[in-house]
Amino acid sequence: MANDFTYMAGVVAAGFAVTFFFRAVPFLLFPAKGGNIPPWIEKLGAMVSPVIILGLIFYSYSSLEWRTPWPYIAGIATAAVELLTRNSLAGIIAGTAIYMSLLAAGCSSGPSSITYDAANPLMRITVNGIVFGGKDYVTPREAVKRLEQHRIPHDATIHVGVDPDFTDNRALWVFHHNYLNKAGYTRVVFVHERRAEAVKMKKRPGANNNRPPRR
Amino acid sequence: MSRGYLPPSGRERRAVRRRAFVDSLPVLMGYTAMGFVAGSLLAAKAGVSFAPLWAFLSGGLCVSGTLSFAIVQPVAERVGIWAIALMLAGVNFRYVFYGWSMLGAWKDVRGWRKFLLVLMLTDENYALETACKYKDPGRRTFYCLCLSAMNLSYWVAGLTSGAAFVSILRRALDPSVIAKYTSGLEFAMAALFIVIFTDQAKGFFAHGK
Repeated sequence: MANDFTYMAGVVAAGFAVTFFFRAVPFLLFPAKGGNIPPWIEKLGAMVSPVIILGLIFYSYSSLEWRTPWPYIAGIATAAVELLTRNSLAGIIAGTAIYMSLLAAGCSSGPSSITYDAANPLMRITVNGIVFGGKDYVTPREAVKRLEQHRIPHDATIHVGVDPDFTDNRALWVFHHNYLNKAGYTRVVFVHERRAEAVKMKKRPGANNNRPPRR
Repeated sequence: MSRGYLPPSGRERRAVRRRAFVDSLPVLMGYTAMGFVAGSLLAAKAGVSFAPLWAFLSGGLCVSGTLSFAIVQPVAERVGIWAIALMLAGVNFRYVFYGWSMLGAWKDVRGWRKFLLVLMLTDENYALETACKYKDPGRRTFYCLCLSAMNLSYWVAGLTSGAAFVSILRRALDPSVIAKYTSGLEFAMAALFIVIFTDQAKGFFAHGK
């Protein structure tokens, strides 16, 4: 808690220092001088600013579902509404609303929930990364984040399936110790090959098939 | 010959204040709405305690919409402060270009007034200040001061109320419910950058012609 406090105080202080310094630059450079902006600075500003903002757009997309088409659709809608109405707030609200409703309608790459089933691996390690459910590749950090998000209890046994073509044992060790153990998931089982097969039960003639199964 | 900064008096002052308030109304809509979203994003996604306090402080001291959105993701991952400072330097570098046209008009302003004026060189506030119709330094500076104070209060109010709203909800509701209903809210940051970019690109092409 106290750690959080100093960290956030540092973040706010850094934000203030950086932002205020940039805003004060002209007043620090020419404290007494009046007059207009030098033309070369104006030209530089007109060139540099959009490039930086373009970089920021890419950066902000990294925290979105950028593998799906949905953030791009919402982005085009944002720009279109902004250009049509000449109101930036309308563009932001329209774009965000479209993106949120697309996600709410199920247009997302990630599974909405992790089904916690002790018999089956929660995640699977492949050469490409860690897989949840179907096609959704995540990083080890993201994997731990999802376990926490879905409130998987710390004492639950995490079954991690390992693909037969995945041979990097060091990466397994790193994932086990540096990510899962550090996050508090101490009971980790690596399943290297699944041999269990589903057995089809046949109805016995004459038996009471309505009886609940024995525990 | 420079008369220097003389605050206008009496009736003049009231007229300027009213003018500033009317001009600030669009910003009132924008800042409270954007601030509310940024504040709720901070409280919902950054995972820090006392989120309303941080929203209040960052709103009052940094006064930058891009900053308020951009810090959420790094803070959630507890990225180091120097790395955050470096990222914010990239985010807010454009503010270097804002003060130049105000050098002449504000050159005799000192103390807390100058601090407030420099602090409030935000995108929206700057746009209004450059569009100001008053040409004499006294009324113009007073107009900018009124505008800055009003817009600052809108931004701080929006940000703090958004963070407080989500913090109270977090007490009452399950975190997964909040995660479900705020999912996709992080697009607001991308949308803000897209809007700034289209604005600047539009200005660039208009200037080129």
